[in-house]
Amino acid sequence: MKSLAAQLARNNEKTWVVTYHDFLTGEQQEPDGVKISRVSNPVHTHIGVLTWVLTLNQEVERAAANIYYGSNQKVDIIDVHDWHFIPAAVTLKKALAVPFVYSVESLEEHRSHGANSPFNMSIKSLEWLGTYEAEKLLVKSEWMRDEIVRIYKVPQEKIKVISTESPNWIKEILEVYTYSSTGGMLWAKN
Amino acid sequence: MGKELAVMMLSWEFPPRVIGGISPHIYNLSRNLVKNGVKVHVVTCDFPGSPAHETLEGVEVHRIDSYQNPAPDFATWVYLMNVNMQKEAAAIAHGLNDEIDIFHAHDWLVATAGIGLKHVFRKPFFATMHSTEIGRRNGIHTDYERMIHETEAWLTYEAWKIICCSDYMISHVRWAFGLPPDKLIKVPNGVNLEAYSNKEKEYLSKLRNRFALPEEKIVLFVGRLVHEKGAQVLVSAVPRVLDKVNAKFIIVGNGYMKDQLSDLARGMGVSHKVIFTGFLDDATLRGLQQCADVSVVPSLFEPFGIVALEAMAAGSPVVVSDTGGLSEIVDHDVDGVKIYPGSPESLSWGITRVLTDEEYARHLKANAHKKVEEKYNWNTIAQQTKAVYEAVLNEHSKSFWAQKS
Repeated sequence: MKSLAAQLARNNEKTWVVTYHDFLTGEQQEPDGVKISRVSNPVHTHIGVLTWVLTLNQEVERAAANIYYGSNQKVDIIDVHDWHFIPAAVTLKKALAVPFVYSVESLEEHRSHGANSPFNMSIKSLEWLGTYEAEKLLVKSEWMRDEIVRIYKVPQEKIKVISTESPNWIKEILEVYTYSSTGGMLWAKN
Repeated sequence: MGKELAVMMLSWEFPPRVIGGISPHIYNLSRNLVKNGVKVHVVTCDFPGSPAHETLEGVEVHRIDSYQNPAPDFATWVYLMNVNMQKEAAAIAHGLNDEIDIFHAHDWLVATAGIGLKHVFRKPFFATMHSTEIGRRNGIHTDYERMIHETEAWLTYEAWKIICCSDYMISHVRWAFGLPPDKLIKVPNGVNLEAYSNKEKEYLSKLRNRFALPEEKIVLFVGRLVHEKGAQVLVSAVPRVLDKVNAKFIIVGNGYMKDQLSDLARGMGVSHKVIFTGFLDDATLRGLQQCADVSVVPSLFEPFGIVALEAMAAGSPVVVSDTGGLSEIVDHDVDGVKIYPGSPESLSWGITRVLTDEEYARHLKANAHKKVEEKYNWNTIAQQTKAVYEAVLNEHSKSFWAQKS
């Protein structure tokens, strides 16, 4: 994340990162030009990681909305990493017509070794929602692409494999961002 | 303002999905807001056989996929359902081109969806607190309860104004979440008088015969059979009442105390005088309330006490605990009888007082009906709610959020 955000900033793309911290909340600019907005969870007591994640999403939405309105509604694309903030990404897309790409780092199927308890299924349902609502999926390997196709029945052409080893990875990611923010005709901004 | 005021209400229940009091509350509030020139969208959970979208008496009802997969527990289901509700509500509001002026959430069950919508659309946000976890559980004892309590606290923090149904509830919510007084507004619950008008005499006497002998007076309890509603106080009062009057005690509702209560009645040797009907359909319940010679509400904790108002609308004299919202609804000796909460002696005194003095009962009924008509009718309540909306919209229009950037 840190290297991706820094590289984007170096390419003169205005880059915001919205993330979590227990107490270092608020907005901050890094020396490399990346702006960071950290939120904490207003609900302190939890019975599991799911309730913790689901209540954190509204704070992510609040931070993202502040960035959106603060930058004259000029947010072109959201890149959401893994399942945690899929609900926020989906709401921002529906409400503000900002499309998103879903960067899949890992999947519940592999993390939980195929377990199918209600807990695992809840996380899988959020991952599915992400694959369904995203303009594009970004993965780092062909293996991951094939696993997403297998588990969530996503058309292969919706998934872009970009290896961080590739010398052009930032250029390739920017291409996906550009495609997703303009190519999604349904979500053309009014 | 050129266009009509538009509000989006979030609720986990709306007819035909009825779990508690929120469903009829929103139904009556929303259609009366419509009558007063407010555009209302209700976003609520789906229900088998009900359409995803319909217009009901002018109210736009949107039923969302309420997350049908198994969830680890109730609270987690609530948060997952909120993901879907927020997603659908965001799409609806976006499709309406900025038409929605206000988001209004009812209870913590839709807190997260409402809070998110407030921030992404930058509109004023209302919360109605129908109840609290700390009140329902008489304290916070587990992490599960604390999580819900903190979600409620967050909801009240995010809301521009919080609507409560009674002075009691206002002070309870202030105490529970440490809120400034000017954030809370009292708008009472209402009762639908039409539901109790034009019932045929014949239907009612048939219904009466189903539950009681002609010489028996009917004592009616309606409520969940849980500790806070105090059905145990009523059952304990039965022998004392029977010493003075021949009566049948009808207990309507379900709950975890049902077996315990019927054991109690059997143990006291009065089970032939006490009927547990379970959950009744609306028509039968409304009819019974009209037949009852006295309706009792012996609650130990009661934010409002809608069932007392319903009895008053139905023309049944009421005997209520002097606690919570009930204390404000009833004036002792004027439109009802107040008794000491948790006291079977006091309750039996109140019941026999009403059942043995017809003139007194008639006097209570007449005053009660008048009060319901004037103070607790949904049209007045909708007008009060609209006025609160308009006042907040006026404040909002001067804020930087109104500029949206």
